[in-house]
Amino acid sequence: MIEMIAQYEFMQRALIAGVVIGVIAPVVGVFLVVRRLSLIADALAHVTLSGVAAGLLLQKHVPFFQGVNPLYTGMGFSLTASIFVEHLRRLYRSYQELAIPVILAGGIGLGVVLISAADGFNVDVAGYLFGSILAVGASEIRWIVTVGVLVLMIVILFYKELFALSFDEESAVFSGIPRRWINLLFSVAVAMVITASIRVVGILLVSGLVTLPVAASLQIAGSFRQALIYSVLFAQVAVLSGLAAAFYLDWASGGTIVLVSVFLLLTVMGCKRIGRVWRKRLAHRAQIS
Amino acid sequence: MAESVLTLKDVHFSYGDQTVLQGVNLSLRRGEFLGLVGPNGSGKSTLIQLALGSMVSDAGEITLFDQPLRRFRDWSKIGYVSQKVNSFNRGFPATVSEVVASGLYGKLGLFRRMKKNDWNKVDETLERVGLSDLSRRNIGRLSGGQQQRAFIARALVHDPELLILDEPTVGVDTRSVEEFYTLLTHLHREKGLSLLLVTHDIGAVTTYVDRIACLNKKIHFHGDPDEFTRKRRKILSVAYGHEVQVLKHDHEPVPLA
Repeated sequence: MIEMIAQYEFMQRALIAGVVIGVIAPVVGVFLVVRRLSLIADALAHVTLSGVAAGLLLQKHVPFFQGVNPLYTGMGFSLTASIFVEHLRRLYRSYQELAIPVILAGGIGLGVVLISAADGFNVDVAGYLFGSILAVGASEIRWIVTVGVLVLMIVILFYKELFALSFDEESAVFSGIPRRWINLLFSVAVAMVITASIRVVGILLVSGLVTLPVAASLQIAGSFRQALIYSVLFAQVAVLSGLAAAFYLDWASGGTIVLVSVFLLLTVMGCKRIGRVWRKRLAHRAQIS
Repeated sequence: MAESVLTLKDVHFSYGDQTVLQGVNLSLRRGEFLGLVGPNGSGKSTLIQLALGSMVSDAGEITLFDQPLRRFRDWSKIGYVSQKVNSFNRGFPATVSEVVASGLYGKLGLFRRMKKNDWNKVDETLERVGLSDLSRRNIGRLSGGQQQRAFIARALVHDPELLILDEPTVGVDTRSVEEFYTLLTHLHREKGLSLLLVTHDIGAVTTYVDRIACLNKKIHFHGDPDEFTRKRRKILSVAYGHEVQVLKHDHEPVPLA
């Protein structure tokens, strides 16, 4: 595969996109999961679908939009939705998860209506639903890298504040951390990560890439730092496996990435179990002798 | 010693037409350990929220460190342990050190990273509360009493002059409660820390505090704990509206390990 990467530009693009997404998706995912908001990723991805559909529709009818990648309108939609989610969470303090089905259903509803109103597109909508790592275009790769840098900067610069707010919002606010701004900035980061990941894993599976590596890492992480490092490692393994599977076997990259993530999670759980049994046995033996 | 850390003058507060606080006067002098007791729903937590500026009183005057609450900005002078700390997510992937360090983040401010001396500060504080050995342990794996110490450490790590604790002994076993009071007395004596402890546990608190205030909508008693103990029956029957059984803790404070 290394030869192929050296030889073909599309392989280089796929590799760069994969590595970037494999870093930012799980990093943002850790914060989402510990805040019990894992499903936000899914909801925003579906809103992105309606944004992509709107972009395609505009491309068809408005000359100005012909050169605009529909992922941009998709990102606009998911940014708006992510701000709306924050608002809904404040509105329904005791039903915070309610924001998710509201946004998710709204997103699909609008997407489906827009697609049907357009009476068919030249582009394959399925490409957005399932993603394809090998099809990342030259202009898209610049955009994915830019998003990657921006998201990493947000997380690095505001790591302290994000950690404090995720662990205990009340105390964080009391100690003087600007909750609104940080949460808003984080919502923007989430929306960007989701739109950038759609090319690689697709709308339907974005939440898998955002949450599954984190789920595996939470099984073994003792500290927050470890949780971040392990989830990035797991995500990298998954993304690179997806790339290999897409190239050699012509499998869907998104599906492979998610399946590998599930496999990693099961492996971690299995290893943990074996470790526990093993320790018990050793302790038992020590007791006997 | 005359400087006042917190005062409330004729403070009123109500939720809709339900009066929560009615003309409350309260003062906490520098270096004093004040116990605020009262039955559930007596307005203790509301009083704290008002004093911390997260709710606004309907009438009256509140000052922090001799400054009107409206103009008070130096929140790093105050450490606060909320009653909600017990309900944190126990599966959260964070070590005791990481949690305690987060108490410094507000004071550090945006864009400033933790430096070596900040981490030293964390270690020092962990030592003060007796958790040095567990600094790298996951916070969810500590016992209830240890978790409580960790949260006190988080509130202490930025060197506040006033520590406010809202019902910190709820859901903690008796032995840990005793250790908890020993720790507070220690901090109070060694560091001259001003303390405001909100609790409904009337028995133990009288043994340790300098002054005690009994609240139920109004302040029914504000003074010396010995006097409180003498007049307890009368005060409590007025404040609580019925006879109250009090568990007494007569032990001397045990030295910290």
